[in-house]
Amino acid sequence: MKLVFSSLFFLYVFMAVVFLAYYLRKDVKYRNFVLIVASLVFYAWGEPIWVFMLIFSAAMNWFIGLKIGQYKDTPKAKIFVGTAIGIDLLLLVIFKYTGFLVENLNVILPIDIPVPHIVMPIGISFFTFQAISYIMDCYWETVKPQKHFYKFLLYLALFPQLVAGPIVRYSVIEQEIDKRSPMTIDITEGAMRAIIGLSKKVILANGLYNIVKEYFGDFLNGSPYNDISSMSFLGTWFVVICYSLYVYFDFSGYSDIAIGLGRMFGFHFNENFNYPFICKTISEFWQRWHISLSSFFRDYLFYMPIFGKQRKYANLFLVWFCTGLWHGASWNFILWGLYFGVFIFIETKIGKKKMKKWNKVVTHIYSKLIIVVGFGIFCFSDMAQLGNFFVNISGMGMLFRGNAFADIATWNSLLNNLFLVIFAIAVSMPILQKVKYFFNEWGNNTVYTVGKGLATLGCCYLLVMSSILLVDNTNNPFLYFRF
Amino acid sequence: MEEKKKTQQKSKLYIFNRAKRPLVADFVCSICIRIFIAVFGIIALFLMLFPHSTESQIEKRKLAEFPQFSLQSYFSGEFTKGVSTFYDDTVPYRDSFKTAGYNFKSIFGLHTDDEVKIVGAKELDKKPKPVEPSQNQTSQKPAESSVNENSQASDVSKVESQVSEEESKPETSQMGDAEYTVENGIIVVKHNGHYRALELFGGGTGNTYVEALNNFHKDLGDDVKIYSMIAPLASEYYTPANYSGFTASQKEVFDSIASRLDDGIVSVDIDTVLGYHTAEDIYFRTDHHWTPLGAYYAAQEFAKAAGLDFKDISTYNKNTIEGFVGTMYAFTQDPNINNDPEDFIYYTPSNLDDCVTEHYTTDFTDMSEWDFFCGVGDPQHNAYLTFMGGDEQVVKVNTNVKNGKKLAVVKDSYGNAVPGYLFGSYEEIYVIDMRYFDLNLVDFIKENGVTDLLFTMVTYSAVGENAEKLDILRTQ
Repeated sequence: MKLVFSSLFFLYVFMAVVFLAYYLRKDVKYRNFVLIVASLVFYAWGEPIWVFMLIFSAAMNWFIGLKIGQYKDTPKAKIFVGTAIGIDLLLLVIFKYTGFLVENLNVILPIDIPVPHIVMPIGISFFTFQAISYIMDCYWETVKPQKHFYKFLLYLALFPQLVAGPIVRYSVIEQEIDKRSPMTIDITEGAMRAIIGLSKKVILANGLYNIVKEYFGDFLNGSPYNDISSMSFLGTWFVVICYSLYVYFDFSGYSDIAIGLGRMFGFHFNENFNYPFICKTISEFWQRWHISLSSFFRDYLFYMPIFGKQRKYANLFLVWFCTGLWHGASWNFILWGLYFGVFIFIETKIGKKKMKKWNKVVTHIYSKLIIVVGFGIFCFSDMAQLGNFFVNISGMGMLFRGNAFADIATWNSLLNNLFLVIFAIAVSMPILQKVKYFFNEWGNNTVYTVGKGLATLGCCYLLVMSSILLVDNTNNPFLYFRF
Repeated sequence: MEEKKKTQQKSKLYIFNRAKRPLVADFVCSICIRIFIAVFGIIALFLMLFPHSTESQIEKRKLAEFPQFSLQSYFSGEFTKGVSTFYDDTVPYRDSFKTAGYNFKSIFGLHTDDEVKIVGAKELDKKPKPVEPSQNQTSQKPAESSVNENSQASDVSKVESQVSEEESKPETSQMGDAEYTVENGIIVVKHNGHYRALELFGGGTGNTYVEALNNFHKDLGDDVKIYSMIAPLASEYYTPANYSGFTASQKEVFDSIASRLDDGIVSVDIDTVLGYHTAEDIYFRTDHHWTPLGAYYAAQEFAKAAGLDFKDISTYNKNTIEGFVGTMYAFTQDPNINNDPEDFIYYTPSNLDDCVTEHYTTDFTDMSEWDFFCGVGDPQHNAYLTFMGGDEQVVKVNTNVKNGKKLAVVKDSYGNAVPGYLFGSYEEIYVIDMRYFDLNLVDFIKENGVTDLLFTMVTYSAVGENAEKLDILRTQ
């Protein structure tokens, strides 16, 4: 069982011990030691065996990083890069995609290989990508190879971002590994950020998932999908909107906790979300959604000269194929990635300038429709239910299956969760950000102090309420743990 | 010009503040940190120092225990999982915090005078209908999702109570018909200012029930009179009209069952009778059982069918347990149910003191004598255990009536409320729970000279998997 941020044990035992131990002494070596031990315990808690693979991966990438530095500007460096990335990807493929590959081979070829059920070590997609980014940065000489293994291990295994991101580049925390002194403002802001993230998960994401699972099934906890063939048109739209919001709050909540905890320890991670639902185009959506992943693919795949002169569009679809595949070993994720790739391709063809001239209302409606339908694809790994989803959401369910336009159950769910949905939509907009900006940047010192006081009290309330809700939520893993 | 001035003033103010801001920020943040640490520390100490809960009354289960360490359990992940589960599951005052959590979540909804809340999966607008008698029987699970949520720790056992292996486990589709794999769940309705939770019914045939009773009739012959009295779920009467499509007609199922029972078996139609009394409290609003008053009307109907002496309820002593909140709170997690308790009223016969109640183990040994109507711990939640203290036993009541009539009641927990009204009608009454009886029932009936055999249980049991146990009683 993974040690999840949204559990009382993590918050009030693990974090309490780590925080106390961390601030017991000031020297960085000691603090790094505390974080390494904490990170390995954190990972071993859920993966008592695969923690050794994490250490192996760190050792291998650290060693090859050194070799790349040693043989820079020589062909050997390329061989080392290829070796490291090859091993990293091989581990990822073995653990994450073997079953999927075998299943598809069995379909394509006249063979019947038994499908292996390999349990994927948690966070492998994230720390593998971090390792790859480090190797490439060493090769491109944008970072210096780390000489000390324990410091590299700290980078790769740092527990706030270890199992579900964000994918932190080595360059982001390179300096802070050696020198950091968290100020009071770092601890305060970090704690507030972590508490807001926790509340997003416990209050909003869990509440929204409760609606989703009533209709689509409790698929995240291993139950099969419900048969949605008879769902009404509006019902399908309502639930998939709830699901879109759920994914956002679940993942951005985790990122907030990771960034907040990192800051409490003196690390400044990059933002992973920037209010994606206020986007006007799909390209903009991906500049705001899971930024660390999209920037990874942009920097390490999109600009790679894989397809020669035609690379622009071919690479674009390769990137979106990989983005989809990264999210899971299932065709719906690949479809999901390519779906967005198609719209980004279309937007590229139309041109940014032209699209900017479009009516804002139109672009908002266009982008939200595409995004919400996209999350429907993301939701259903069961192709039969994905088909039913398309039939329902397009209105064909009403025309050809006699499904209702709306139904009393949807209405009932909406009424019983009205304020949750409204609140969730409000929080997905940058309202709080603007309020914070006012108090921090434009108000005088009194306003600033009042703002901080209110924020502190608000966060204390959220912490207490989230803790109370956690009493009833002992099994609520984050969605992105699956990836 | 004025605007320019204002902007300049603003920027001066801004610059001025920024100059001192680091000092102010440092001071303010140092206070904020102390507040955070205080709140965090209080919660952490509370969780660490206060005694851990060991069982949950709301969820009706024992909570997780601290796991034993071994290398095997560590490397399999069971140990660390067990530690996390133990810590998260045994929070001090767990039930109170759960209640606070439910109350908090209820602010997300819009509450109206006639609000309805649906709990459980919603595959609706497919009104489930009773299937043809030739098909295998089936039914739908009540609020499975909410029950599952309550049993978060998979390695913890349920507290023995009135919901253990209860009629909450009807069969799901065995015939592969998608229409019958639907789970309707529970709806919570507000009516006349009070909340009522209703288990929905998905239909079924009762084939197994019919077959079992007919077999009993064959084995026992006409020496023992057999009666079938199936209690409807409250949703038969209290489902709002616009939600009627969510639940199947139970009356149709009862009629279908009655038509297929052998001629020698008497079907007691209580569905109709209870329908006349829906304005009275014949079903609990917060529990999945009928009330003792509902059971009284049923017993009265049975007495009529069996030609028994039967005393009016006015001759009984009325007892009240106030503030009762039953199992539906755990099933629905709806704070409205918890915040709207009801009275648990039960009736004791006037000849109670002249009757002796013997409690036996399920193999009819190890007798002990104690009251039929007994006191229970935490009556506000467990009041239904007042009848005999539970299900897992065989109970024999020796009354002061001398008419040579002996009754065996084969029942689920609904049936617990019935025998108390028959103390003036039979010389001996045997109460047997179909789920907890280790002997051959045919032999038992013959050996004890039973004259009347009453099968009484709720619809879920008659069309669900509990019915399978009836034939096992006959053959084991």
